[in-house]
Amino acid sequence: MLSESFLPFFEWCGRTWLGVTVRDTVWAFPLIETFHLLALAILLGTVLIVNLRAFGLGARRSSYAQIAGELEPWMLVSLAVLIVSGIPMAMSEPMKCYESYSFPIKMVLLLLAILWHFTVQRKWTSPDALRLTPMKSKLAACFSILLWTCIGIAGKGIPYV
Amino acid sequence: VSILGVCQWLQSLPWASGIKESSWQFPVIEGIHSLALSAMLWPAAILDLRLLGWIMPRRRVSTVAAQFLPWVWIGFTSMVLSGAILFAAEAVKCYNSPFFRIKIILIGVAGMNALVFHKTVFGDIASWDDSTTAPWRAKVAGGCSLAIWIGVVAMGRALAYA
Repeated sequence: MLSESFLPFFEWCGRTWLGVTVRDTVWAFPLIETFHLLALAILLGTVLIVNLRAFGLGARRSSYAQIAGELEPWMLVSLAVLIVSGIPMAMSEPMKCYESYSFPIKMVLLLLAILWHFTVQRKWTSPDALRLTPMKSKLAACFSILLWTCIGIAGKGIPYV
Repeated sequence: VSILGVCQWLQSLPWASGIKESSWQFPVIEGIHSLALSAMLWPAAILDLRLLGWIMPRRRVSTVAAQFLPWVWIGFTSMVLSGAILFAAEAVKCYNSPFFRIKIILIGVAGMNALVFHKTVFGDIASWDDSTTAPWRAKVAGGCSLAIWIGVVAMGRALAYA
């Protein structure tokens, strides 16, 4: 799927110290993936809790803005852990990533999700965002959940497609 | 009948071997298993962290529990169901793996921990619900729960690559 112009970069990744070390250490990949999955649980859990609130589900006793504000630092920390743990995993098997469809799709969706979060999502969950029409916020909530879920699924798909 | 015999029989069932042979069924079920993990683990961790007093100190433990425990149950049920299907497809591999055995034991210990917590200190929540710090027994239960679930995830990953 990726253009051949990316090939030298992926080949270089596989030759770096980080890539070689993770590939040659038997327990490194599953250990890093454990942290990746734990951080995914925090991020995706937060996205679910915050966005299902727009449908009146889940944490009903707190407002949308309150829940989003309380969980925001956890979401950012888990996103950082996901990126930091994801890089060595990708570098240890760059050719698998280069040849798969899932990896480039995942990267594009991730970029989209980060942009969406810091622009639209953040504005709409700010405390004074009460003017927001319910329909609009529900659509935004659906989009957020769908986007992050697809990123998780695309990640699972890297070794397969 | 040995446990290994049961595992071999389970794995040989047409639907179970079909999952293993199909190119997409195993990763899709595994994906659902991972998504269910997110629905369960983080709400559970929020309650654990509140018990430890690390987050939402001004919110009552009973409120946090009422808000997040339903998620834990829905997520846990989906995890057990999807996990059981994954197990059936790879029953013999799981049976032979020390990581799988540790994983099952850890889930059992997590269940015991939750049961003891609910029967003892949580049953008496009215007496400490208004305080920002939970009793030490509740903190121990929260800390143990966090550590055990991290171990469960680690064993699951180790199992996949062993």
